[in-house]
Amino acid sequence: MSVPPPGSGETGPDHIEHQESAGRLARAALLLYPRAWRARYGEEIFTLLEDTGGGMRAVFSLAWHAVPAWIWPPRHLHDRDDRMRASLGTVLLAWSALVGISLVFVQLTQFQGYRPAGHPIIGWCYAVIDAAVAVSALSAAAGGLPLWLLMLRRARREHRLRDTFYLLLPVLAPASYLAALAATSRLVSHPNGFSGLQFLGVTIAGFVAAAVACAGPILALSRLRPRGPAVHVAARCAGVAAGSIAIAAAASAIAAVGLSLWAREFAGYHQVAQVGGYLAVVAIGIVAATVGATRGLRSTLARPGR
Amino acid sequence: MTNRLDRWADPPLLVLASLADEPRHGYAITQDVAETMGVRLSAGTLYAVIARLEAQGLIEPLDAVDRRRPYRITMAGAEALAQQSSRMRQVASLAQARLSVRYGLTGA
Repeated sequence: MSVPPPGSGETGPDHIEHQESAGRLARAALLLYPRAWRARYGEEIFTLLEDTGGGMRAVFSLAWHAVPAWIWPPRHLHDRDDRMRASLGTVLLAWSALVGISLVFVQLTQFQGYRPAGHPIIGWCYAVIDAAVAVSALSAAAGGLPLWLLMLRRARREHRLRDTFYLLLPVLAPASYLAALAATSRLVSHPNGFSGLQFLGVTIAGFVAAAVACAGPILALSRLRPRGPAVHVAARCAGVAAGSIAIAAAASAIAAVGLSLWAREFAGYHQVAQVGGYLAVVAIGIVAATVGATRGLRSTLARPGR
Repeated sequence: MTNRLDRWADPPLLVLASLADEPRHGYAITQDVAETMGVRLSAGTLYAVIARLEAQGLIEPLDAVDRRRPYRITMAGAEALAQQSSRMRQVASLAQARLSVRYGLTGA
């Protein structure tokens, strides 16, 4: 077997420093790959980087090819449970973001008592949002609660305090947020409730609380690595939850466009930048939720060993 | 000058062609492909290709030597490479014949 001598060319101190820096970046880029992929090829790539000196081309190349490694993992590296857990994490984050967006939309439209006369499409969209959010929440609960309880029981049985704390974050974070919100609302003396700026602050704080609440179970999934029927059921329910929240978000996007076209006097929906920004965020959330859920569902349907 | 048709240099084909000679590890493949075919394969591209070819059973890993794992082309890989080479030869012959007749170019 021919093995050409590794590493050649420039050897000045600046060049060596640059190469070392690029090598570190390339190693960091490897962290973007799925665990099974790194376990199989990580060591070989480290060696290749040592031989070639890495370089920024290797950094970009490794980072770029991490995307298909997640979306279309090679069959021999296909760890079904690992894939389902990863998809559950993605769906949980995207789902929470979309639920938050839908709730903000409902707060800014339906709760204002607005029903534009002569434009039933907006009214239908409101109904679709209500139904889809309810279906989505029920699916998320049906799939998520058994898995959450299973992990919580195991964390307590094995005295894993950190994991127990992570698993309790979905309770602690919203409870803290609601308590802070209740305390803050008492301090607000504005006759019409929160002002625009205050509402923005409350909304951002809500999204931060939701992100913290999601981070807990995602970390616990990664550390406890549960397997078996509970993960499969959760992945299937996540598919239903993601699909229905995507429908709700799409309906809210249609309603937002309808409001900007037919109800220009209402709120700020005639401002193109706001509506455009809203649509972009909704689109990103829908894509993340549906791609994540599809990956999880495909894993549940894949034959063992594939 | 960079050839605008360099995209036809399909990385899986380059890797299979390199391994058709003898088993090679990652670094040796990149060196061989660069020297014999004039294409520089980056680390990400190379291992994305190796993972795909291995999953398809076209190459197989051998025991690692000093952290470097060589790969060997399988019979299925050799057949796939032969089929693709045959198709490429047909396209090349046709293109050269037509270029020669119409433009007097030989593609040398």
